[in-house]
Amino acid sequence: MISHHLGLDYALNPGWMAPYVAGLSAGKARARRCQSCAATSFPPLRVCTCGCLEGDWTDLPGTAQVLFRTTGLDGDFGLVHFDGANTKTTLRLQAIPATETRGIIAASGDNLPVLRLTALAEERDG
Amino acid sequence: MQVRDVTVTGAALTPFNRRKDGTGFRDWALSAFEMALERSGLEHSDIDALYVASESDFFHLQLNPASVLATELGLTGVAATRCEGGGASGQVAVHTAARAIQAGAAKHVAVIGIDPSASSLSGDAVRTLYGFSFDAWTDGMTGLTSTALYALSFQAFAAEHGGTEADLASVTLQNRSNACHNPGAHLPRRDSPQDIADSPAIASPYRRLHCSPLSDGAAAIILSRTDATPRGRAGAARIAGMGAATDHMHLGARADPGFFTAKQMAMQRACAEAGATPAEIGLAELYDAYAGTQLQAIAALGLSEDVSRDLNDGVFAPAGRCAINLSGGLMGQGAPVGATGVGQTATCALLLEGRYHPALQPDTLPRYALADTHGGVCTLSAVTILERAERAA
Repeated sequence: MISHHLGLDYALNPGWMAPYVAGLSAGKARARRCQSCAATSFPPLRVCTCGCLEGDWTDLPGTAQVLFRTTGLDGDFGLVHFDGANTKTTLRLQAIPATETRGIIAASGDNLPVLRLTALAEERDG
Repeated sequence: MQVRDVTVTGAALTPFNRRKDGTGFRDWALSAFEMALERSGLEHSDIDALYVASESDFFHLQLNPASVLATELGLTGVAATRCEGGGASGQVAVHTAARAIQAGAAKHVAVIGIDPSASSLSGDAVRTLYGFSFDAWTDGMTGLTSTALYALSFQAFAAEHGGTEADLASVTLQNRSNACHNPGAHLPRRDSPQDIADSPAIASPYRRLHCSPLSDGAAAIILSRTDATPRGRAGAARIAGMGAATDHMHLGARADPGFFTAKQMAMQRACAEAGATPAEIGLAELYDAYAGTQLQAIAALGLSEDVSRDLNDGVFAPAGRCAINLSGGLMGQGAPVGATGVGQTATCALLLEGRYHPALQPDTLPRYALADTHGGVCTLSAVTILERAERAA
């Protein structure tokens, strides 16, 4: 057997998604509103489902409804609907009890596109 | 443009498992290729082009694997193309190769699928890499795993279309039971529903036994222009129709996150090309990355109008109207990613010729068999319909 270690440090540019990534870093749900049909996507869609390429950035309230959740080895994840968005999204659920179906976006920090939903009460207490 | 008919003149798979014998992907590729070539009745010099399916350089640490395998297989000089479509890589390679023959660009081509998904990296490393096979910017960086995304998709499917824990157990037990008759299978097991319930939770509702394993292995097929089929291979199955389609990469942007729309579109395209209907499919090798994925596939492919009912009625059992995953599928036979789609096509071809493993070979051959593969959570779907030759056994 040939044992070989390979370490890779990537420097990835988010390109057009830079406002989205910056929003996550600051704990804001920065969505894309279509200039043609006003549909709001979060995470943002570069091309709206109506086919329009033009959109504007808009900050959603950051609260979301958990539609489905899965629990296991790597933690809790959910399919959620952010208030004000026309799309749903998958994300990590952070300290949201199984009985709780709403949460608020958590800041990712470090300019990372990490999308997490945390408990509303925790956010208010914080 | 005249479209040429394509025949699967050779087909072979290595065992799918976790290799502990010191062999590597080049060895498996050669083994599968030589077997398929021998069955085709062709020589190395007859091969015009090589198509290689491999999902990721991360697995084998070999960029540009198609040209490397051209040398390793004794095919230096042929045109070589590497095909990638996530979990659908193998089927994408089959399509690309068959289209080349249809277009008149080649007479005989080799399609090789490989991946050392089990032995070259740790399970944790592969799990992390798979997270980047969805949208790396949203799902991958967030830490969403393949199993978590599939689990959420299945929950959405079950809420809208039905699907119970008992159904998940039924698929799991059937596929692994089929694998017990496949000498090349990775997980030939006879578990009980309680064994499944007692296995570790991975991402609810999925437990370890609901999941397909990571496997090593290779598969190969030789495709030939039907009017150039070698003497003695008149009984070989032909490719009747192919279809591929994509869905939105984000589950949450899909109108129905539980329904495999891309698979439905791919199947419709393949059926139109074949002049067949889903009801005429008598054998199917489906992409059962997880137990629920098979239920979602059956629904999207139009193989049933009531998946749970037909599952419980034995429609998809070995003696059923449409036997599914006689090989054991990904869950039982195993899943060396690039080899999966090629292996499914090889399996269908061997079944339609009456040359599959004796204990799994149906007594009566249907007219059509289906090979179904996808990448992402059915973000990219590719399906192939094969047709039995008039002179098949």
